[in-house]
Amino acid sequence: MRNAALLALLLGAVACRGTGEHGKTIAMMPKNKGNPYFASCRTGAEEAAKELKVRLLWDGPTETDPAKQNEVVEAWITRGVDAIAVSVENKEAISTVLRKARARGIKVLTWDADTEPDARDYFVNQATPRGIAETLAGHAARLLGGKGSFAVITASLTAANQNEWLRQLRLVLAERYPDIKLVDVRPSDDDRKRAFEETQTLLKVHPEVKVVMAIASPAVPGAAEAVKQSGRTDVRVTGLGLPNDARPYLKDGVLDSAVLWNTKDLGYLTVQAANALAMGTLKPGVSSLTAGRLGAVKVEGDQVILGTPFTFTKDNVDQFNF
Amino acid sequence: MSYERGLALCLVLEIALFSIIGWNFFTPGNAGEIVRASAEIGLLALALTPVIVTGGIDLSVGSLLGLCAVVLGVAWRDAGWPLPAAAAAAIVAGVAGGGLNALLVARLGIPPLIVTLGTYSLFRGLAEGVTAGVKNYSDFPASFLFLGQGGVGAVPSQLLVLVAAAVGFWLMVHRMAAGRTLRAIGFSPDGARYAGVSVNRRLGAVYLLSGMCAGVAALLYVARLGQAKADAGTGFELMAITAVILGGTSIFGGRGSVGGTLLGLATLGVLQNGLRLADLPAELAGVVTAALLLAALGANRVFQGRDGT
Repeated sequence: MRNAALLALLLGAVACRGTGEHGKTIAMMPKNKGNPYFASCRTGAEEAAKELKVRLLWDGPTETDPAKQNEVVEAWITRGVDAIAVSVENKEAISTVLRKARARGIKVLTWDADTEPDARDYFVNQATPRGIAETLAGHAARLLGGKGSFAVITASLTAANQNEWLRQLRLVLAERYPDIKLVDVRPSDDDRKRAFEETQTLLKVHPEVKVVMAIASPAVPGAAEAVKQSGRTDVRVTGLGLPNDARPYLKDGVLDSAVLWNTKDLGYLTVQAANALAMGTLKPGVSSLTAGRLGAVKVEGDQVILGTPFTFTKDNVDQFNF
Repeated sequence: MSYERGLALCLVLEIALFSIIGWNFFTPGNAGEIVRASAEIGLLALALTPVIVTGGIDLSVGSLLGLCAVVLGVAWRDAGWPLPAAAAAAIVAGVAGGGLNALLVARLGIPPLIVTLGTYSLFRGLAEGVTAGVKNYSDFPASFLFLGQGGVGAVPSQLLVLVAAAVGFWLMVHRMAAGRTLRAIGFSPDGARYAGVSVNRRLGAVYLLSGMCAGVAALLYVARLGQAKADAGTGFELMAITAVILGGTSIFGGRGSVGGTLLGLATLGVLQNGLRLADLPAELAGVVTAALLLAALGANRVFQGRDGT
């Protein structure tokens, strides 16, 4: 039995190896392979890899063990790749091993979530935290009519991206919407069921909350489902989420809007940038990057910028499928 | 003994396979990486071996690792203690956590599965409570990080700790009278009691040791990742238990070996590492681990006959 399993492994691996001995090898890591958000980034990444004829390795944690990302990068360093692109779960932890990769001559990018600036060459920034906070605060203010309370369902209380968005969100509220109060922030651990439960609790603990803002993609349908089942028609949901998850709730009206960037473009741009970096065309001083079908993309210092956030509503959501 | 030989053969085959299909797999540097990545789970697995030999289980070790990591961070950065003192505090926290398990299991006679399921939540909850889940202690001095990231040539510093622990537990389980009494307890606690074994004291000791090892593993973990956070060691208990069971220790107690645990650990560590270097999806590790475990349990029955105790 063991031997059979090993043999199957061997055959599988040899078959994998047979294909595509060409171009650069780019290793790309999501925070969590099981999250559909990253699955949709992956389709864009593979599209770019095909166009550029590079070998794309896609691997990352399937569970929430924070040590896993480090172990995968260690393995890529040992294996030998041309560029590593990581969506960082935890910047303090990953920075050491990314610095080690750079010391070995491997080009390092971060995408989706950044690490310490000296641990990577470039960050592919999907949208600035400020831009996201402004868009989200705008939706909340519109739904509340400029006055009232809302609460946030976040990813985990430790997630760097979400915490940065929250920080900016509080700044935007203080500057522009002094009558709107953020009364609670609850974790969902990137889990739909957990978001559902936390939203149920939230509605009981804070009956004054009229808007639930879910800022992790699995949390949007979880929060929307909880609001729907509660029968509270005075509560609306907004947040950051994937169109396919959001669609039924947008049509129901429970979910008002889902803000995001184009995830496929993010994956596509990351591979384009990684390849350009490995080829030497993306280097300090460059202010623009030609990225295939995305055309010329802006490079600001050590950040490659994807563009402005996008809002899915019940009117436009059917144009998207991821 | 033939089971262990079978497992060793399996490991050799595994290494041979990945040497063929993996990139840079069969290199001293990579051997070091495997040790580095397996050291914390290895420590936990070594400590779990005597626990499981007594017919017990300790599900709290991963959570306790997280709590000890947080204690290290709090003592060092928040309380401003020198690092050696903070490290000692982390180990003391581990001993205290293990002591709580020991008290509940050995003194009050509550089944270890229930006790450690409770402390599994308790320790993680404490760690998250102290840090509000967000605090992340980092910027540890290089001399401390050396424990997790440094080494002599390709030999990682963790290897020393792991070898010391392995020798210690090997002596305890296989060379001291205590080891025989642990097996006796595993086969039949009442029988052992009638034979004059101080069952409670022995049981208490193994849980205490398990807690202490979680504390030491926390140091290795923090030094390897360069951060101490409440989520440290999530899921490590299951990996460690898998290594122990794969190593041929009976979950019913009464039988087991430290050498087997090390082989089980190596098999799992090589598998995780090898799959990555062969560009194979790491999810396969779960499937292959399950297949190995089932094959191992089956083989164990064939080699050793039924164990119904």
